Order: sequence, then structure tokens, then C-alpha cells
Amino acid sequence: MKARIAVPVFPGTNSEDETVRLLRDCGGDAELVHWTSAPALATYDAYVLSGGFAYEDRIRAGAIAAHDRIMDYVIEGAEYGKLVFGICNGAQILLEAGLVPGTGPIRRATAAFAKNAPEPHFVCRHVYLKLEIEPARCAITAALPPGALVPAWAAHSEGRLAASPEELERIVSDGHLAFAYAHADGRVDDAAVPNGSALRCAGLINRTGNVLAIMPHPERDGWNFNHLDRPSGDDVLAPSGGAALFRSFIEALS
Amino acid sequence: MLAVSVSLKIPDNTAYTALVALRKLGVDVERIERSEILLFDDQDAGALVARITADERIFNPNKHRLSVLESAKPSWGEVWIEPIFGSGRGAVAWRLYNEHGAPVKRPVLEMAIERLLCNPAIDRAVTRDLFDRDNRNEDE
Amino acid sequence: MVNELGPNVALRDDELQRIAEQLGRQPTAVELHAFDAQWSEHCSYKSSRHHLAHLPATSARVVLGPGEDAGAIHLGTHAGERYAVVVAHESHNHPSQVVPFEGAATGIGGIVRDVLCMGAEVIAVADPLRFGRNAHARHVAQGAVDGIGAYGNAIGVPNLAGDVYFNEGFDDNCLVNVVALGIVKESDLIHSFAPKGAEGWSIVLVGKATDASGFGGASFSSATLDAQESELNKGAVQVPDPFLKNVLMRASYRVFAMLRERKITAAFKDLGAGGIMGCSAEITAHGGYGAEINLDAVNVAVDGMPPAVIAVGETQERLLWILPPDVAFDVVRIYNDEFSLPEVAYNARAAVIGRVTPERRYVLRYRGSVAMDVDIEFLTGRIRDELPYSEVIRHAGAAPELPAVDVETLFPQILAHHDVASREPLYRRYDAVVRGCTVLPRGAADAGVLAPIPGSRLAVALAVAGNPRYGRIDSAYAAEHAVVEAMRRVVAVGARPIGLTDCLNFGNPRKPDQYGSFVAAVEGLAHAATELDLPFVSGNVSLYNESADGHAVPASAIVACIGSVEDVAQVVMPGLKEAGSALLWVGSRELVLGGSVLAEILNVDGALPKISFAAERAAIGIVHDANARGVLRSCRVVSDGGMLTALARLAFDAMLRGRAIGAEIDFGNPLCEAGGFICEVSDASQIDITGALRIGQTVAGSQLIVNGVQFDIPGLFEVWSQPLAELYP
Repeated sequence: MKARIAVPVFPGTNSEDETVRLLRDCGGDAELVHWTSAPALATYDAYVLSGGFAYEDRIRAGAIAAHDRIMDYVIEGAEYGKLVFGICNGAQILLEAGLVPGTGPIRRATAAFAKNAPEPHFVCRHVYLKLEIEPARCAITAALPPGALVPAWAAHSEGRLAASPEELERIVSDGHLAFAYAHADGRVDDAAVPNGSALRCAGLINRTGNVLAIMPHPERDGWNFNHLDRPSGDDVLAPSGGAALFRSFIEALS
Repeated sequence: MLAVSVSLKIPDNTAYTALVALRKLGVDVERIERSEILLFDDQDAGALVARITADERIFNPNKHRLSVLESAKPSWGEVWIEPIFGSGRGAVAWRLYNEHGAPVKRPVLEMAIERLLCNPAIDRAVTRDLFDRDNRNEDE
Repeated sequence: MVNELGPNVALRDDELQRIAEQLGRQPTAVELHAFDAQWSEHCSYKSSRHHLAHLPATSARVVLGPGEDAGAIHLGTHAGERYAVVVAHESHNHPSQVVPFEGAATGIGGIVRDVLCMGAEVIAVADPLRFGRNAHARHVAQGAVDGIGAYGNAIGVPNLAGDVYFNEGFDDNCLVNVVALGIVKESDLIHSFAPKGAEGWSIVLVGKATDASGFGGASFSSATLDAQESELNKGAVQVPDPFLKNVLMRASYRVFAMLRERKITAAFKDLGAGGIMGCSAEITAHGGYGAEINLDAVNVAVDGMPPAVIAVGETQERLLWILPPDVAFDVVRIYNDEFSLPEVAYNARAAVIGRVTPERRYVLRYRGSVAMDVDIEFLTGRIRDELPYSEVIRHAGAAPELPAVDVETLFPQILAHHDVASREPLYRRYDAVVRGCTVLPRGAADAGVLAPIPGSRLAVALAVAGNPRYGRIDSAYAAEHAVVEAMRRVVAVGARPIGLTDCLNFGNPRKPDQYGSFVAAVEGLAHAATELDLPFVSGNVSLYNESADGHAVPASAIVACIGSVEDVAQVVMPGLKEAGSALLWVGSRELVLGGSVLAEILNVDGALPKISFAAERAAIGIVHDANARGVLRSCRVVSDGGMLTALARLAFDAMLRGRAIGAEIDFGNPLCEAGGFICEVSDASQIDITGALRIGQTVAGSQLIVNGVQFDIPGLFEVWSQPLAELYP
């Protein structure tokens, strides 16, 4: 039987529709589950936490959502080994919930996607995610080639990885740094980083590699018509670009 | 040193959402006030107020209320959340009140800090207890 | 009687007298405030409506013209269903001047509701902005942009288009205009009037708890600003809540789906100026009914508010439904239980607050007594102020005069000019790509483009225009130019212009010269739209944009143009594509200086360029044809900063995509702003060259060679991309 993917909707989530659409276009069986129907989440095989501003990111990005009933089911699922994929606000929530990098107890965060620096403003910018781990280290990235470049859009005001020096050290040495920001040609440098993120980090995984949290949105550069340098002649409605990561996620479920 | 509190005189949606969230988490709190704390090396409160009220980046009389605190430390029932990795001198103050309109007791405040108001990976929570203790340590 | 809030009432003595005569008694406090709101310029358009009637509003594509909360225009057919783009355009100028963040944010909030209440899914916003140049204006410019971003980003609607000009004329009065687009199946359009057979139906108020914020807003936005007034008006500060709006939008989409399933025709309307009273009176009156409202059933934020505040206050994030009683029950459940509104904001909810009556009275009850009982036609009917105005002197069309210019020195100055320099520092604070439908995000080209219907190749383009440097010289010309420029922008991305909206931002209608400027602008819009055969499907008027010392803002008829694209693969993608292409200047190329950035830098006056509508129509045809034949490689409109700026931006766009392509051109004065298009074509012989002039060709490498003067493209990019980062770091 085909694995069922839930895209939970918190009050304030805003990227749920395109996330479900791209999951489906990549062959996934995905549907929305609203916060008032949270108990239904227990019956799904995987979770994709989409972008937005859950509880408008009041107090801190992801802070209140990390305590929402939705997260009781997501945490339980993650501990059971289900795949959990958080994008942007979803990633912020996973860090606040302590699932990623997962070096401390649940709901005691050891790192955060904090206010952008040096300027604390929202930034909307096209970026590339470069895979920094062995693809198989994380189930969700397993079908990507080593060093894969995934196009995406950064669109956030709280996306700067921040943690203590010891924790950052642990993130590197224990292989939690899944994605770094890169240029189109694959170079990773500070100019490629839109938000001052420590370790030029764009995405993190947990110890067991079943939970992935990325800040940029691959689903916003997920179809041919989204690409500013799309070659003419391609089917404009076909999934491509950022869809590679979604395909890899779907593949891990089958 | 002088501490200035800038709060909203229009409704504070964030404070309301924090209240609802804390109560859902079992924190016994009835009302929350939030303000921004700015710290200055000034001595003359009057001159400082004049300077701040003229600075539109900080203060807009149509939406903000400003007060100079009697002492540059949190009051009881209040926590200042300061970023650990920042160069700015400031904090967000959360004041929690119980159903009698009095500041909440220490265990309630600590529960609110631990469960929601502070992410220890990036924030420092300064309460009156902590402030007095740290200053005592410095005195010793 | 005149109540304790008397000083806030803007009704004139003759209007008060008319009310007392019609009622046969003195109005109650609630009635006084109701008429004050309903008869304000903001609600009644009393001094503008008869002029606006001159704007063309029909075409084969118009699904819904002006008159409701938003207009609708046919986009195309997908899978056997006809789809319309819903569009609304408004201003939030005065609130943004007083509290820039909240004012601009609530502007986005309001325009989104105007589109939502038509039953549409909201797909884009755009914001034409006009800021001053002094220290206070700087604060306004920063706060307003942050407010627009904070709101639009949170609700998840991409910011697709917009523009910004900086001009001393806006020092005391910024302009914050907002445009929103929606998409809807034409058969699913919901109107803002009670449908046939609605007698006895429920009136359901949904959204934020009513509070005292925004009380007196309608009068506020129609009264001249001055510094002291700002403080007095603080009760009028409207508080945005994008979190609540995000949930309200999604809950409303759910309600739309339920109504479709059950085949219910309902009415839905945004609460704006005039609050509960204005909205419930108009939605029932325009269906031919009356209404009875129980103010005690309204969810309020604080107890003890006077009934006038509950009835007329302009609390944000509220909408009103007219529904059969049994359906109303289910709708209330969707909002309150399925989407848990009461947990999202304090006492937010949906509640039945009244019913539609066959008697054509408008009745408000409060605590057991009647607080208002008036003839609903008298309350909502059209009122008209015939104000005197002076004829405006036209400045267009004088003989051209051209100083010899030193391109080498002047071009970098033009690129660094505050009206030409890159807008990216501003718009990168806005989410351009949420919803995953974006084809051309803001700033990538002359217009933004979306593919809004999943699985469909249909696309929609949006652009705005309105040049205050022209507005300062000639109001009517500036209005005509705004239509032409907005239209050119959507043409340049390969779209077919299908409709327009406008927001007329002008001074005090009680001053004949300022009112004359408004009247001239309306005539300019009407003339240009008629010549180009484009309808205005919605619009807005903002008057009293006047500083305390009596100066009006530069005449600002701001226009948005919607374009349709049959196949998203036909969209013209940004930047020069290949070396060896021919570069053509298509369309109008009147070589005069007036109103240009060059004139401002040289500090000279000059005649305004002429607009030839025949040339415009021909140019649209040439660009479309070149695109359809597959020979058009890239295209940009010649606008602020002139032809050379347009060409440099084509080169910048190529450079940003990793293509080092330059150009070599020969042309008299490449800094004039006389319009038209710069087109990169693969084969000039393929197109009708009569309306086009070959000015040069693209070359390999990073040089722009103009009349023998050589510029380094990355160097020019530095000059152009930096200036606004100082204001928007």
C-alpha cells in the first residue's frame, strides 16, 4: 500500500497547498490535516511541515507551534522512525520542538533558526541548497546524488542557525549539517548565505536521519514555469528543480 | 544606567497569543503585558526621554507608550528575554499577572519561561531573583 | 441632538439639516455617526462619482465592472471552466502617514478582503508607493514597507508588482496604494448584495471582536492631515492582525466549497469604512431589502462601548455574510469550531447578528431599545456634491528641444537616481513566491506573472504605473501616461492587456485648482483607456492628500494593468539571450526631456513627450507578433531613466542568470524617456519594421557601447543596485 503523507496545517501556516501539490505531482499520496483534526495524524506514515507563520511566529518562530497538539503526533511519529520533513516554518518548529538536531530532550531546543543577521529583516531571495552529507545519511535525501544542488527560495526573517559554540561543533562532527547555502555553480561562501546562518547552514537532520529541517522552499521553484532560466521547449507544467528533493522523499517512502 | 520601557498603547496581539498559549500549557496566568526594554548609559532621564521621543525609529506617539524605569532591572513577576548572541542592548519584557491582578509567583514565572518564553539556545532569561543574585555576586 | 463625540463628526450643517428634515426629528447619536460615515467622501464618493462615470467600464471580457468590492475580468478557460481574475485597488495613505507600519499593513488587509469577499482565492498583492524626501518621510518609507511585508508575508499572498517614487511633494502625505488579485471560476463568483429570495435570511458577522480602534476612520481618511490632528486621531489607528486574517481566509475558502456543494447563492462583503452599519446597510439595500441588526449580538473586545462605536467603528479583519438560516448555522460552525477563530484572536468569531427584512428600513437595536431606524435608501443612496473646479492648463505637446548630453557622465548618475536605482532592497522584504505559482517574481521584469490555476497553462500579468514627475507638470497627461505605461509593462512580458484599475490620489476637492487637477486626471484616464479599448473594472479615490500648509501631493492617478497569457510558455523571460541579436526600439520615441529623470538631474524644464495612441496600438501588435513568431528574445519598456536604462537592465538580467551579453548601439539621446519598447530579436526581417527602429545589436561580453562610449556592465550594476540599500539595509 502506498505510504500516506500528512501535511499538517497550524493556524498561520501558508504554504500547505503548493507543498501538497508538489508532493502529489512527484507521485506522493499527500493531504492536509488541520489543527482541529490533529488526532487523525496518528494514521499517517510521514509528515511534511510546510512553510508559513504558525501562530504568526509570535514570541519566536515556531515557539508556540512546537507545543501544538499536532506536534504530539509528529514527535511520536519521529521517535517511531516515521519520516518528518520540515520546510521553513516547519523547520523552525522542528528545532523548537527539539527534534532537530535532536541533541537534547524533546521540547528543549538546543539550537534555533533565529532573527536574520546582520539585518533583522525578512529576506526573499533565490538560493541553492547544497547537500553536505552522504545522501544515505538521511532517508529523505537518499535518492539525491552526492553534493546535489537543489534550487529553492529563501523567504524568512528568522532563518539564521544560532547555537552555542559547543552545539555548533557537535552539529558538524556528528553529521547534522545536511545542507549549506551555495551559488548556482555549487560554490559555498558567505555571499551565498541570505541570513547570516552559522555554518552557512540551510538544513539540519537529526541523529537517525529520519527528520530533516530546511529553511528555503524547494516547492517554490518546483515546476518548470517557476524557473527564471527555464529552457524553451520543456513542458512548463512539469515538476523539476526543487522537486528533486520531494522526489527523493517520496522514493524513501516506497 | 537608565532603562526605558516602550510598550504598545494599541492592542498587543502577541501578548494575547502568548497568554492563550501559556494557559494551554497549564501556566496559571490571567494577564500578560509585553514591552521592549532599552538600556542607556545616560544619567538625565528628562534628556533621555526627549531624545527617544524625537527618534521615530524607536518611538511613535500614535502607537507607543514610554516610561523610564525606576531601576534598570526586572520587577517581580517579570522576565527580560535577552538575545545571547547579539550586540544590541535591549530585551523583551514579559509581565505576568494572576487572577487578583498581582504579579505571578516565582514558580509560575519560571514555568512560563521554561515552557515558552525563552529558548535557552539563543535567549537569556533575566528575572528579579537572577538579577539580584548576580549583582550580589559582583558585590562580594 | 449632537453627542459627546461631536467634534469627530465631519457632516456639514446643510447635510445635518437634510437628515433632520428627512427623519422628521433630530438624529440619535448612532444615526449621526452612521450618516457621518455613510456620507463621508470615503464611502459616498460624493464629489467624485459623477466624474468617474466617464471611465470606460465595459468590454467582452468584463465579468463584473465597478460597483462591488472588486471587479472581475475573464482570464481564460481551463478544463471547460471559465476563470476570472478578481481585482481591487485602494489607498491607505492617511493611516500610513500617521502609523506607517500599521497603516500600510491594514491597507493590505483591507484590499485582500475586497477580493476574498467575491468568493475568490487571493493570489497576489501589489503596492504602488510614493514617499517624500525629508527625515520623517524616511521613517514612513521604512515603516510602510515593513508593514506591507509583515502582513502580506504572513497571510501567504505573493507580492507580485509595485513601484516606488521619492519626491518632495510627498513629504507630508505619503501614498500607499494597494492592489490585490484573486482567481475564481466565473460561476462561483459571490456578490456583495443580498440575492433574490433573501427575506428573513441571517446576517452573519465574522472576524475580529469589534473594538474602538478605527472609530471615525471614514472621516479620518477624508480630512486633511496635520501634525496635531495625528495625535487626536489616535483612536483611528487600525490594528492589523495577519494571523487572524490567514485563518479567516482559509476558513472562508472552506465555506466557499461548502456553498458550492450545496448550491447556495449567498452574499459576502468586507467591512470597511462605516463598519457594521455601512456594510450591513449596503449589502441588504443593494439587494432591495432592509436590515435589522441586534448590536448586543456583536462580539466586542471591551464591554461598555457606546452603540455608535459598535455600529460604525472600523475594526479590521471583519466580513459579513447573508445566508439562509440553516446554512448560517453551518457557516458559524466552520469558522468557530473547524477553524477555531475564538482561539486565534480575542473573542474573534462568527455570529448571527441580524436578519434581512422586506421593509426598506435600516434598524439597529441595542439593549432593548431602537438606536437607529431610518429609510435604508436615504442612508445608502447616492449623494452628490457639485464642487467648482478650475480648468487645468495642459503642458503636453510643445516643440521638442534637446541639449547635447554627456552620456558618459550622466548615465551613471541616472542609474543611481532614487527613482531609477534597483528596487530590490525594498521588495526583497516581500514574499514574491509563496503559493508556488510565480512565473516572473517582482523585479524580474516589467510586470509580475503568475500561473494561478494548478494544471493550467493560463497565466496572469500585473503591473502598475503613475509617474509623479509628470503629475507635477500636467495632471491629465500623467493620467494618460499611467494607463499607457502600465499597459506597456504587461505587453513587455508577453501578456495581452485585458483590464485596468485606478486609484486617484489628489488634494482637497474644496479647492478649485486641486479639484480641477482631479477632474483633468479622470478625463485623461478615460481618454487613454478609450483609445486603447481597455475597461476600468474597479478603482478608488483618495482625496484630501494635502499638507497642513495647503499643498496637494503631485497629481497621482495610479493605474494597474492586468494582462492575460494563454500559454505560460509564451512569457518573455528576463534578460538579453544571445549575442548577435538585433536591438529595436518599437513604438513611441518622442525625443523630449520634460518630466524625465535627466531633466531633474540637469535641472531643466522641458515639454512633455506626446502620446500617440495609434503608435501605441501598433507597438503592442509588433511586440505580440514578434513573440508569437518566436523571434522576440527579450523586451523592456523604456521608462524612468530612458532607453539606455532599459537596455542596461536587460543586460543586468542576463548577467544575473550567468550570461555575459552586452550591446552596441548608436542613438542621438539615449537618456530620453519617451516610451516604447526595447526588443531583442533574433531576426528583424521576420517582423513589421515600419513601427520599429534598429538601434544596434547585442554583443558577447560585458560591455555596453553607446555612441562609442564604453561602459562596463558589472560596474553599472554596482552603481544601480546600491542606492536604495541605504534606506532598506
